[in-house]
Amino acid sequence: MALLEVEDVSKAFGSLKAVDGVSFKVEAGEIFGVAGPNGSGKSTLFNVITGIPFGPDRGRVKLGGVEIQGKSGNEIARLGLARTFQRETSFDGLTVFENALMGAGYGKPGRAESEVRERAAEALEFVGLTSVGFGRLAGELSVFDRKCLMLATAIAMEPRVLLLDEPASSLTKPEIETSIGLIRRTAERGITIVLIEHVLTFLMSLSQHLMVLNQGRVLAAGEPKTVIADERVVEAYLGTRRPAA
Amino acid sequence: MGAFAEIMFGGLFQGSLYAMMAVGLALVWTTIGVFNFAHGVFMMLGAYVAWQFVSLGLPIAVALPVAVVVMAGVGWILQASVVRPLIGRPNIVLVVVITTLAAGSLIENGVLTLWGPRSKQLPSLLEGNTVIGGVGVSLHQIAIIIITPLILAALWAFLNHTRLGLALRAVAQNEDASQLVGLNVTALYGLAFAIAASLAGLAGIFMGGYRFMTPVMGSDPLLKALIVVVFGGISSISGPIFAAYLIGFFEAACSYYFGLYWTPALLFAVLILMLMVRPEGIFANQSRGLA
Repeated sequence: MALLEVEDVSKAFGSLKAVDGVSFKVEAGEIFGVAGPNGSGKSTLFNVITGIPFGPDRGRVKLGGVEIQGKSGNEIARLGLARTFQRETSFDGLTVFENALMGAGYGKPGRAESEVRERAAEALEFVGLTSVGFGRLAGELSVFDRKCLMLATAIAMEPRVLLLDEPASSLTKPEIETSIGLIRRTAERGITIVLIEHVLTFLMSLSQHLMVLNQGRVLAAGEPKTVIADERVVEAYLGTRRPAA
Repeated sequence: MGAFAEIMFGGLFQGSLYAMMAVGLALVWTTIGVFNFAHGVFMMLGAYVAWQFVSLGLPIAVALPVAVVVMAGVGWILQASVVRPLIGRPNIVLVVVITTLAAGSLIENGVLTLWGPRSKQLPSLLEGNTVIGGVGVSLHQIAIIIITPLILAALWAFLNHTRLGLALRAVAQNEDASQLVGLNVTALYGLAFAIAASLAGLAGIFMGGYRFMTPVMGSDPLLKALIVVVFGGISSISGPIFAAYLIGFFEAACSYYFGLYWTPALLFAVLILMLMVRPEGIFANQSRGLA
C-alpha cells in the first residue's frame, strides 16, 4: 500500500480549474517529483493535500491508508504530513530555535519538554544552521538559511511525508547543490518526500518518480527519464516544435 | 514637588488601567486580526461578577481570582459564538466589529436587568490612605500601580518563555504555517480571548474599588484602550503598554495644568498629529508579532 495516495483530486476557483482530476501514489521512502510550468497547479495541489488554506472540491487524499481530506490542517500535520513553502519563513518574528521548537513541540504531541528541545536542536544541526545562531530572528536570515530553517522545522515534526515546495527557487548554484544533498539525507532519515520544482534538472537528480502537471492536469507520470522525453512535456515547457523548412 | 507627585501618581494609576485594557485588545488583534468591541463590557462584567461574589460573603481577595476565571470563560464563549464562526469570511474585521458590539450590548442590558441600574462599589484591595510627596493617595491605587506591571510582566514571560505563549505568538505571525506544524489555531484563538477578557475583568475590579460601578462603566475605558493601541501600535503588546503609561502621564499633566475638560481634546489633538506622522503607531513595527 502506498504511503500517500491522491485520487481524482480537483480544485476550482470560479471557472478556473486549478487542479483537475489529479491522481498519484507515493511509496514509503521514495522521493516523488512534481514538475510543471508556472501556474500549472503544483502549489495548489500541495494546498489541497494539506488542507491549508483549502481542501479539495472533489477527490480523496489518503495518508497511510487513512483519508485526510476534510480533516483540519493541524490534525493532518499531527498524522505525519509536513510542508515547506517557496519563500517565506514560517515565523519571521520567532528565533531560529523557537521556529524549530514549534515543529518539535506541536507536530509530534506527547513529547517531554527536554525531548522537544533536543529534537529542535538536532534538526537545526542536521540542516547546518548551528553557525547562524539559534537566538537570531528567522526574519533576519538569508533566503537559503530560511529554506533550511523551514526544512529543520518540518524535520523536527518527524513527519511520515514531507512536501517541499520549490526548495531551489531563488538559490545560487552552490546553494542548490547543498540543497540536493540535504534533501537526499532527509529522505535517508526515512521521510518520504514529495518535491515540487519547475527546474527539471533539480528534480531529475533527486526523484525516483516524476509527475508533470499542465493547466491543473497530469500531463505525464512515471520514470523521470521517460517523462522528460515525452513530447507533451517538451511542448509544455518549450512550446510546439516548428516544422522543418 | 506636589505637582510632580500628583502627575506621577495620576499617570501611573491611569496608565496601569489603560495598559490592562489595551493589552487585551492588542492580544486579540495580533492573534486573530479583529477588534473586540465587547472589550469594555468584559471590564464591566468582571467588576459585577466580583461584586456578586463579594455580596455573597467572599472576601475581595477570593472574589477577585474567581471573577477573573469566570471572565476567562466568558471570553472563550464570546469568541466561540460571535467570532469563530466568521473566521475566513470576507470583511471579517468589519463584521466582527458589529457582532462584538451586538454581544456587548446584550451583555450590558443583561447586567442592567440582573443587577439593576443602581451604582455599586467593590471593596478596596487595601483600605486606607497615605501621603507621598505631599499628595494624598489611597492604598488601593498604590496596590494597582504595583500589581499591574507584575501582571504585565507575567504575561510577557508567558508569551516569551512558555510553549503555549510561543504558540500564540506563532499564530499571530502566520496562521497557515501554525496549522502546518500542528497548532490548534481555534483553541489558541479562544485562549487569546480568554486572556483578554480576564485582563479586562481585572481592570474592572480595580476600577470598581475606587469608582462607582454602572452597566456602562466600560464604554469610556474601551475608547481609551482603542486610543492607546492606535497610539502605541496594534502590531505588538509592548507598544500599547508603553503608550498606556505615556497617555496616562499626558492626561494627568493636562488635567493638572489645563483642567479635566481640556484633557480629551488635547489627547485627540496629539493622537491626530501622531497618526499623520506615524500612522502605524509610535512604538510599532510593520508586522503583527505579539512581542
